[in-house]
This record gives sequence, structure tokens and C-alpha cells, in this order.
Amino acid sequence: MKNPQRLPDLSRRTFLKGSSFSTLMSMLGGVPLVAQEKPTEPAAGKPVGRPVNCGVIGLGPWGREILATLSKIPEANIVAICDTYAPMLRRGQQSAPKAAATDDYKAVLENKEVEAVFVATPPHQHRELAVAALKAGKHVYCEAPLAHTIEDARAIAQAAKASFKSVFQCGLQARSHPQRHFLLQFIRSGAMGKPVMARAQWHRKQSWRFASPNADREKEINWRLSRKTSPGLIGEVGIHQLDAVTWFLDQRPLAVTGFGSLIKWTEDNRDVPDTIQAVLEYPQGVHLTYDSTLANSFEADYEVYYGSDSAIMVRDNKAWMFKEVDAPLLGWEVYARKDSFYKETGIALVANASKLEAQGEGGTADSAAAINSLTFALQAFLGNAGKVATAVKDFKENFGEDDEALKEHLADVRKSRLPAAGYQEGFDAVVVALKANEAILGKKRIQFQKEWFDLG
Amino acid sequence: MKPSFFPIRNVVLGLALIALAIPTPAETWARYQGQPRGSQLKLEGTSTLHDWKVEGKLIAGFMELESNFPLDPAAKPPADAKLNAKVEVKIPVTSLLSGTQLMDEVMYEAMKQKQYRDIQYRLKEISLKKGAPAGAWQFDAVGELSIAGLMRTNSMVVTIERVDAARLKVKGEMAFKMSDYGIKVRAPLALPLKVGDEVKVVFEWMTAQKAEAANK
Repeated sequence: MKNPQRLPDLSRRTFLKGSSFSTLMSMLGGVPLVAQEKPTEPAAGKPVGRPVNCGVIGLGPWGREILATLSKIPEANIVAICDTYAPMLRRGQQSAPKAAATDDYKAVLENKEVEAVFVATPPHQHRELAVAALKAGKHVYCEAPLAHTIEDARAIAQAAKASFKSVFQCGLQARSHPQRHFLLQFIRSGAMGKPVMARAQWHRKQSWRFASPNADREKEINWRLSRKTSPGLIGEVGIHQLDAVTWFLDQRPLAVTGFGSLIKWTEDNRDVPDTIQAVLEYPQGVHLTYDSTLANSFEADYEVYYGSDSAIMVRDNKAWMFKEVDAPLLGWEVYARKDSFYKETGIALVANASKLEAQGEGGTADSAAAINSLTFALQAFLGNAGKVATAVKDFKENFGEDDEALKEHLADVRKSRLPAAGYQEGFDAVVVALKANEAILGKKRIQFQKEWFDLG
Repeated sequence: MKPSFFPIRNVVLGLALIALAIPTPAETWARYQGQPRGSQLKLEGTSTLHDWKVEGKLIAGFMELESNFPLDPAAKPPADAKLNAKVEVKIPVTSLLSGTQLMDEVMYEAMKQKQYRDIQYRLKEISLKKGAPAGAWQFDAVGELSIAGLMRTNSMVVTIERVDAARLKVKGEMAFKMSDYGIKVRAPLALPLKVGDEVKVVFEWMTAQKAEAANK
């Protein structure tokens, strides 16, 4: 299964957990945009309903991160864990000592106690596991990217669409974070003016290679380094940032042009570029420039949204706004925290800052940002799964088997679901990221076709 | 001829009397079952912040009506205003939706959903309402309404409309006080919010008759 050994600084996990960049920015002086400490609607993450019995498949570093996070959520009852590699299974048991441990995922799916399955294996194994889990009637949380091919991702998304009694969530966890929802409203409201362009990056100095005890294991765990199994830097890591930009702009990209090179890590026979650039073209002439490298860690990772009135930089769960001198006065910024960046002055934006001030917590609280996206994403999944499961049970007890009527009822129930990436969002993100990877590998421009996003 | 102990004539007469005394169920009562589609329930209330509304579409249960129950507004009203009917209703608390998960959570907690999964109603008596406007029968219904584990007597006016040969729709309005049912609403996010005690309920309940008549 995925990631048998922990690297000191690796991909999704470190990407999503944060870094010192925000501290650096604060020191330079910036404008933090921070959601309120107490989560707001719609991203309030407290699950509703009863605890959900969980099974986690894939206990590499990220699978164990999921396991560790679940173990801290009262609504998660971990009853099964699975990995094909015994040392990983043993390490997983440290977070879930009472869970049934197995090396066969079918045992997890056959376990009637298991209601929700978390798929945290390498992407090329997702299709078999996720589709089987949905067929077994489980709720499924499947890590992003959904798959390493569009065909596999489509199969998963279609299975999720057909399984209307199950909750399916893609691991684009930023979509569940209240800070992101705050920024979404802020950007969509036009507060930064007319969108002009966007820029995002993920920079690390690391090999992306795991040490292994033997050749077979080496091949299995280093799936990121082979084009046959790897979605590349943009598909494995960049997918989260590409999805965020697509979400905030509320537009699918029209085309992507990419470049990729293998510059630093040339001596281990990998065929996946360690340095990439991509330009995604959105409607109205807006472009996203994305770059990622394993050869240099400068400025780590962030996104910047440029508007005609201001630029907004998003780093982990924090953000800063840089206003243009001719931008209209919004009003609230007069009272907001001001920070100085290099040659720039920014205004602190904190959602519901006045309420926080009233509560004596100040408008500069950064603690909401300290709660990672994964926690909010898992809480959303558990809350939605618990609610749907209760709704199905209540319906069947009162009206028996009537799938069409149940489908209508669940559509109503889902209207108030906790925010999370569903199968369509997960599939859209895969199409964008994998086509970008294709453009990078071929150093070419690819025009997106509307039908690529169609699930039928 | 030696007289028999039970003359044949008396036996036949006796059997005929028994047959008349025990009505055939199919002829006397009709059972209508709550349907998963076509029902609506609206709860409306107030708070110091804004008015609120909760909606649901699942009303389960059944209604049994005696064959002389007045359903045709064009027909002559029955001589006796008091009518025979049996009604039991169940509404899963989780089918009530406010539109946001946070408010749903507040509502379910206030209604003690984990202990009492359903709102329940049982009809005690029903009678034809006097002075109802022409074109539709109206009924005074008295029943027991249970919310959050507490039962209180409830009175309301309902109408019963025939939708088609098999379906009847019951419509009504009522109000209750949350305090009567021990419901205390905890304001979300520690907001300084007070929720008004009175709740208005408007409902439409779709029922359908099964092929076989109820066995009373």
C-alpha cells in the first residue's frame, strides 16, 4: 500500500499541514485573511448524528494521518484497518488498537460492522477498492487524486453517482475548511475587483523516493516515480491548488500548456519530471500559472489571486490581501489589522472579526488556521455519512423499499450537507490535473473538451 | 315425531343473526397508508434574530375510516357529527430539515432525537365541524401529540380531500408551545439568541388505500 516509510518532508501531508512560510510573511508584514476561530456555517464541522463505524485501507503515512485524525474525532469509530504490508499494519494498530487488522481489503468490505471506508492507497489502486466498497454499500472517502487515469476516475465517479444511499467524498480536503469558504465568499463577492490572473506553486527540496527493504517493495512504494502509476507533481500535489483556483474562479479551464524537466533527481531511473510548469487558461482571459519542483524549496507553497483592486495570497489556511492604491474603500478594512510586507502594506481580513473582538479573542486570531483541512474534511464526511445513514434507516422503517422515493428524500437531506468535495468535484479535478500532466509530459497545449467532464 | 333439541329453523335464524352482528371488515373500514411522496410538513417559528422555518416531506402512519365517513362534499352530511376513525402518525425527526446542518443539529438536540426518533400523533376523536364552508368537509380532530418524549392533547381542524380513487390527502394546521414539550433550544455558536415559544405547524399528508381493506 501507499507510502510505507515516512519521509521527512513529503507531498500531500506536509503540503496540507503547513509550513513556516506564513510566519515569514507575517514577519515581512502582510494582510492575514483568517476565518473566525469558531467555525462558521456552512463549514461548521461538528458531525451530526450517530457515530460511524470506519475501516481504513492503506496505512502509509497519509493513511496513518487519516487514522490518527479519525481517532481524535468522537463520531469516528474505527473498527477495521487494512494494509498488505505487515509493518504498516502494525503501525496502524497504534492508532486503532481495537480495530480488526487485515491484509485483505475484501475482509473490510465483507465486515458488516464497517459503514464507511477510507481509501488511502496509491491512486492506481483506488478504482478496484472504491468501486468494490460502493458496491458493498459502504460510504467511501477516497483520497485525491481519485485515480491515475481519467478512465479509472470516471469509473469511480460513476459508481459513486449510482450509489445514492452512500456518501462519497473525494480527499480534496481544502473544500471543507471554513477559511476557504470565507475566502470563497470574499472572492466571489467581487471584493478583489475583476479577476486578472492567478499563480500557485509547490516547491520542495526532496527526492520523492522512499527507502525500501527489497526490490519488489521498492517498486511498490515508489509508484510516484514511474509514469505508469504516477499522476506527476501536478496530479499528486498540484491537484489541490488547481482545484482551489477552479473552485474560486467558478470556471473550468479551457486549455492547459505544460513543460516538465528532470533536472535534479537524474540518477535513480525515474521518468517523472522533478520540475514542472503549467499555464491554465480560464474564460475571460484569466490564466493560472503553476509551477512545482523537487529541486528547490524557496517560498514553499501558496496561491495568489490577482484582481483589479487587490491581490489575495493563500497559504495553508491563512490569507493576506494586498490592495491597489486606487481600490475603493470597503469600510471594514479601516479597523482591520495592518501588516507590512516587503514594500507592501496589507489589511488583515478575519471573518466575523467584530464578533471575535466582542468575545475578547481579537480579530487576528489564527487558531482556525491551525486546525488542518483533513480534520474538517473527515468531520464533514462522518457528519454527512451519519445523517444519510440515519435518513435511510428512518425511511425504510416507515415506508419499506421504495428506491425512487428514497432517492428524492436523500436529495433533500443532502441539500444541508456539510461542505465537501463530492464525486463530480473529485472527477473534475482529476480531469484538469491529469490533462495538465499530459501537457507537461508532452510539452504541449491541450484544449479541454466539455465531454471529458461528463459522467453520463 | 320426536321434537329435536335445536330445531333447524332456530339454528338458521341464529346463524343469520350472528352473521348480521359481525360486519364484514371490507365493507366497514378502509385503511389508508401514509405515502413516501406527496406529503409536506412546515414548522414555523420566531427568534430574536429572525423567523425560522423547518420542512419535512415524510409523514408515515395510517388512517382507518369507517365506510360512512363523509368524504364526498356533495353528499348529505351524516346524521351523527361524531365519526369513527383511527389515525396514527409518525414523523422521523431527522426528516425535518432546516436547510443547514448546524441548525438541524440544534433542532435534533432540542427534540432529543437520539432518545425519541419520531414525532407521534394518535387520534382520539373526530367529528364533523359545524358551519364549515360548502364544498369541503372540515373536521374537528382531538388527539395526542408526542414530541421529545412528552405527550400532550392536541386539537385542530383538518380537511380530507380525495385525490383519486385510492388516495386521500389530509390537510391541517395547528400550533404548539415548545415549553409544553420541554423543548429548550440551545443557540448555535453561543449566539445571544432567544427562540420564540410558539410553533406553527402546517401539513399535508398523502395517504393511499391498499388493495385489501383493513381488518378490524
